[in-house]
Amino acid sequence: MSWRVVAAIAQKDLIDAIRNRYLLVALLTPLSVALLLRVMVPGIEELKNLTVVVHDPGRSTLVAQLRAIPRMKLVETDSEANTKAEVEKTDANGGLVVPPNFDADVAAGKQPKLTVYLNNNKNAVEQARFRVVMERQVAALVERPPPAELNWINVSEETGSSTAGGINISEMMLPLLVLLTFGMTGALVVPLLLVEEKEKRTMDFLLTSPARLTEVIAGKALTGVVYSVLIGSVLLAVNRQLVGNWPLTSLTILLGLLLIVAIGLLMGSLFRTTMQVNTWASLALLVLITPSFPFLGSPKVLDVAMRFIPTYYFVEALKMSLAGTNAPRLWGYLAVILGCIVATFVAVTWAMRREQN
Amino acid sequence: MNSIEVDGLSRTFSGLQAVDRISFTVAAGEVFGFLGHNGAGKTTTIRMLSGQLRPTAGTARVAGCDVTIEQERLRPLVGVVSEHQNLYERMSARENLAFAARLYGAPLARIDEVLQQVDLLDRAKDNVQHYSNGMKQRLLIARALLHRPQIIFLDEPTRGLDPVVGREIRRLVTELATQGVTIFLTTHYMEEADELCRRVAFLSEGRIVALDTPENLKLAHGQRSVNATLDTGQTLTIALDDEAAGKQLEELVSGGRLRTLHSTEATLEEVFIQIAGRGLSE
Repeated sequence: MSWRVVAAIAQKDLIDAIRNRYLLVALLTPLSVALLLRVMVPGIEELKNLTVVVHDPGRSTLVAQLRAIPRMKLVETDSEANTKAEVEKTDANGGLVVPPNFDADVAAGKQPKLTVYLNNNKNAVEQARFRVVMERQVAALVERPPPAELNWINVSEETGSSTAGGINISEMMLPLLVLLTFGMTGALVVPLLLVEEKEKRTMDFLLTSPARLTEVIAGKALTGVVYSVLIGSVLLAVNRQLVGNWPLTSLTILLGLLLIVAIGLLMGSLFRTTMQVNTWASLALLVLITPSFPFLGSPKVLDVAMRFIPTYYFVEALKMSLAGTNAPRLWGYLAVILGCIVATFVAVTWAMRREQN
Repeated sequence: MNSIEVDGLSRTFSGLQAVDRISFTVAAGEVFGFLGHNGAGKTTTIRMLSGQLRPTAGTARVAGCDVTIEQERLRPLVGVVSEHQNLYERMSARENLAFAARLYGAPLARIDEVLQQVDLLDRAKDNVQHYSNGMKQRLLIARALLHRPQIIFLDEPTRGLDPVVGREIRRLVTELATQGVTIFLTTHYMEEADELCRRVAFLSEGRIVALDTPENLKLAHGQRSVNATLDTGQTLTIALDDEAAGKQLEELVSGGRLRTLHSTEATLEEVFIQIAGRGLSE
């Protein structure tokens, strides 16, 4: 394999792709969505006018921390019973009930229970902002594992539930955005790069030049990888607070983007026209990003079906690495992704050689 | 010394015989014409000889390389101008050539030389999508010349071009031939082949049905004749291959009745029709 040839093809494609308006839009769309997410779920330092009703008889460190956050307004109540009513009355983002001996329990390694009321009259974004603040402040009390269990309760409901407060937007959105980014680049841009070479007959030129078929494929893959890495890096940089384990997350993301680029190359090797790519790649993109959707309370059959989509393993591995988990299951997922990458690249080479002859 | 040696070369696509046991040689520095109808197998032959397509049977050596097993050694030795204008349209001429130079490992300084050679230096920064067909064709030739190949395959290089640009391309081909580059040319235009090629091969349904110099083909297959205009205004056409032609001409000249006398030769087109059964444009 000549890296000079691979680099020449990738360099040409990197420049040529951004001159193609269609490809440019495909590259910039996930980036725009990522920046939008940043605006929707900002960091704590950027939060504005967050009002929380607190009942804190023991004068805990947690509430002191909350008080120190700029633009955080705390409304104190004299009893646990009044907290919920005060949330509704003051239209606060939420309420917090801290047990009297909270700091001592945390220091003793116990997991004291905090009751957090969430005002579900607020929109999903505001709820998510409140949720992010609370989770981060609790996590900041000590290193992992979390020192306290947050018991979320919607003020209009009487019973607590694990999904109260809605979905954690940032946790849900990041895998979706990463997959969308890689999908747009890998499953849309990469096949178009390959199909355009066939459609415009420039592939004939490439294959009469010293470039070998494997080098052409590698050049296209490198283009997809470079764009995915660039956009993926921006995506992670703006959501860096959500990354629990950087080395594992980086490895997972590298394997994930290689998988999707390989799928894109396979589509590019099977299709002959840009119209075919535009038609089928959108469908493929939808299938590829499906595992990143939150199927809350969905039937088990759907979960089983997801396992037939290779990106399911990427999403699961990404969620685990973002959460800082280093479980054997994560390595199993990564192995599945690696296997899919190898199989797909073999299929691409076979399909291209077959077409060439 | 031969640049191209082909022996019994064949190619089949899903049972269809595109090229059927063709054999020929092309000498170094020769301009060789490969003529035939659409679908006769010209482009398939070029694709096999340039290492893009594996032959089903037979052997071919191009620039000393076996096209089946030495494709990697072969590719830097040949240049191909495709029948399609396969340029990167969103890139400038210079960018197209720079990309080709990187692929071939050719020096970037060569870009200006070839742009000068095809008279595109002043438009080098323009995007190719703004070029006329003639300019694109010249750029294709520049790209094929960039790495100084020994052999250039030109697949219909003047098709669809206006006569002035066609003449410019023919001038380029002649210039390359004088520099010692072997040219393998396919064309629909018989006059072009007649003007440029030392030898031509007629291809019909995948087979070579004639191969010789244009002159010999015309002599062997065409009709030579003389058109005579008499002082009465009457015109006569006398076929020179007829045995009685000499006596008839002698009578005309000695009889003092002759006003003008013009010889006519068969064209390559007529020879092709006679051999292949129909013209290239049919």
